[in-house]
Amino acid sequence: MKEIEDFLRENRPITKDDPTFILETQRRMQQVEGIKGEVDRQRRHGRVALILALAAGLALGVFATVIAFLYPVDVESASEGIVQSVRLFLQSYRQYLLMPVALLAITLGIVLSRKPVRL
Amino acid sequence: MTQERFIAEVRQQQEPLRRFLLALCAGNGALADDIAQDALVRAYVASGSFLGLSKFSTWLFRIAYNCYIDNCRKSCPEDAPLQEAVGVQSADSSDRIFRYQQLYQALEKLPEKEKAAIALFYFEDRSIKEISAILDMPQGTVKYQLSMGRQHLKQHIQL
Repeated sequence: MKEIEDFLRENRPITKDDPTFILETQRRMQQVEGIKGEVDRQRRHGRVALILALAAGLALGVFATVIAFLYPVDVESASEGIVQSVRLFLQSYRQYLLMPVALLAITLGIVLSRKPVRL
Repeated sequence: MTQERFIAEVRQQQEPLRRFLLALCAGNGALADDIAQDALVRAYVASGSFLGLSKFSTWLFRIAYNCYIDNCRKSCPEDAPLQEAVGVQSADSSDRIFRYQQLYQALEKLPEKEKAAIALFYFEDRSIKEISAILDMPQGTVKYQLSMGRQHLKQHIQL
């Protein structure tokens, strides 16, 4: 066994000196950086779009709730027109309006409190 | 880890890393360098998760070994050209070339774990503990792989 050990130690592989190796590594790393940057940019866009959508939903929800509670519709007289129909609909379900508004607020809070993932 | 620091670490480790992979690839230098590049890219992508619990080189060698195993699964390394061994630098005597050919032919016949243990222990002078961390196996198993590797090499190398 000693002979084998000596043979292995005396004949360890010798790599060809390749100056392009590190350059190639750097080139590949720059490509990785490019991909990382692009993915980061897309994630940021997605996050901004999500926050805007949630904020808009929340604002609309609050507005609808306020309208439903502050300006009650006379169910008997209000039967024509789109605006009246919407108000009537809100009036009928106003006890449930706070639920989606609360859900939107919670979701927005979670999204805003989470740090964006850095690749 | 910044790109500059990573490159600085890689500069230090590139030769041992390429030598380790060259031994694993049984003298196929082009394949070894390809796997080394792949390993370095993977290491760079994962460098944020390197906590410094082990040496950087141990971590890097482990990634390289995993890349090599992945490559073996994708393609059989049996078509590794042995003439690559002839082109090894500083092997200017035919005797030396013959010994490299003999070594690579013998290494090629070893199971992957034995080959890796032999390469790390004899070519890279790594301790059993480090090899255990790189190959993700207990120290006793590393000793067993080394013992089996030596026995198998003895059958294939004429001294």
